[in-house]
Amino acid sequence: MRWGWLAIAVALLLYPWILTGPFYERMGADLLLAAIAAAAWNILGGYAGQISVGHAVFYGIGAYVPLLVYTHWQLPPVLGIPAGILVSLAVAAVIGVPTFRLQGHYFSMATIAVAELVRIVVGNWDFVGAAIGLMGPAVPRSLLDLSFKSAVPYYYIFLAVLAAILALTAHLERGRMGYYWRAIRAGERAARSLGVPVRRYKLWALLLSAGFTSLAGSLYALMVGFVDPESAFGILVSVEMIITAALGGVGTLLGPLLGAAILVPLKATTNSLFGGGGSGLTYILYGGIILLLARFEPGGLIELSRRIATRSLKKAKARAA
Amino acid sequence: MSPPPPAPLLDVRHLEVRYGDLVGVADVSLAVGAGQVVALLGSNGAGKTTTLNAIAGLVRPSGGAILWRGEAIGGLPAYAIVGRGLALSPEGWRLFVGQTVEQNLRLGATALADRQRVPELLERVFAIFPRLAERRRQSAGTLSGGERQMLALGRALMSEPKLLMLDEPSLGLAPAVVETLYDTLWRLHGEGLTILLAEQSVPLALEIADHAYVLQTGRTVLDGPARALEDDPEVQRIYLGIRGEAAASR
Repeated sequence: MRWGWLAIAVALLLYPWILTGPFYERMGADLLLAAIAAAAWNILGGYAGQISVGHAVFYGIGAYVPLLVYTHWQLPPVLGIPAGILVSLAVAAVIGVPTFRLQGHYFSMATIAVAELVRIVVGNWDFVGAAIGLMGPAVPRSLLDLSFKSAVPYYYIFLAVLAAILALTAHLERGRMGYYWRAIRAGERAARSLGVPVRRYKLWALLLSAGFTSLAGSLYALMVGFVDPESAFGILVSVEMIITAALGGVGTLLGPLLGAAILVPLKATTNSLFGGGGSGLTYILYGGIILLLARFEPGGLIELSRRIATRSLKKAKARAA
Repeated sequence: MSPPPPAPLLDVRHLEVRYGDLVGVADVSLAVGAGQVVALLGSNGAGKTTTLNAIAGLVRPSGGAILWRGEAIGGLPAYAIVGRGLALSPEGWRLFVGQTVEQNLRLGATALADRQRVPELLERVFAIFPRLAERRRQSAGTLSGGERQMLALGRALMSEPKLLMLDEPSLGLAPAVVETLYDTLWRLHGEGLTILLAEQSVPLALEIADHAYVLQTGRTVLDGPARALEDDPEVQRIYLGIRGEAAASR
């Protein structure tokens, strides 16, 4: 397992040297960004088992605030990252109190409603650019603007952030927090009857998840330099996080990265093959993946590989006997 | 109704629980004295589970009072109630089937203030149920029905409860397994544990209980020493859910 981690780390560190050129560089950065967002979602949706379909709210806030501080006060967008996280945490706390009274599908539906509400409000609010959206600095004024032509600097920033999230998740997974999250996911009522302060630990998961999702949104805005309501607050943003995590394996450490490593190149290929006219294809692709996962392997690819591994182990044992 | 024993550990007075417009429990009063085994009897839907859930803080009472050593605990969050020494082993056990036996037991110690005592309590549970010790690294989903009941009981004991509440512990178990379970409960009772037991099987419950309450459609309709209720034809009639007028017309 340790060697596996090392191999992944080395591969990710060397990627920009192996696959060069703007297409692959951008794809690599997109891949890491998708992994960051999915890993952030995974804290609440995977470990604590609360399936939010409204994480676009935090992603959108994270994406908007940096460009907002640039547009209105000409500040470097980076300064908007902590501000975005603070706003996201506040919104998460406000959303969390009423929605956590709901369980299962009802919670998921409530999160959709909140996210769509926010998207519509943002789309009609002139201060945040209404339907047109916001632009970042077109030409970098200083290094602080973090505006690079090449995707490679973003790639390494994203890699560092991803490593930090995964390290924190791994730490929490082993501790008391991860322990309670799994209990809540397995049975909220049972966890409650044992004295797990369910609300408090769900709120912790939500806050951590929202904060990192916000960070992912900020990184997106920094790299792309432009946001509009659909690309930051659209329901597809939430769905992408879920599918990425679910394809790899919900509630697993590596699932989000694995899912991103499959989905992002797939999306880049279909986009370049079919161009703008193929954008509807993305939905079809996602729908198909949801169907296949729900029908055959709700545990995602990590669970699938685990199953294959145990099966071949059993076979090997049977042969030896 | 006979007067409750002096200074009960748990005193429930005119408990009422509503689920929206639905009344789960209309008027339940009961008292549990220290060291007693008290049985809650009644047919399906009589309100036994709701009563236990309300005491454990899993549902919020809409009326009445729940007193624990004289302190009103009705409406407190579940973790605060477990922390005061009331443990509920819920109906259907509700184990964490994806986790190991030991992890399930450790989760039972969630509310324990002194974490240092966890290993000691684990050993105690393993001493009571050696089968669980054998299976401690096994996932709870692979256990048999009897072993699951042991695990549910062991998990409840991990919080070092002063009052152990059991909801239908014998449900779905083979008779031989039920017998072992009741032997264990009898032993725990002998060590001074106070037990409040909801049970559909009247003879079983009355065998172990000191005192019993009979619930019917959300109300306590009868109570008394277990010995006396054992021979009471009224209990059989209520328990079977035969309505008063039907019985009278016979």
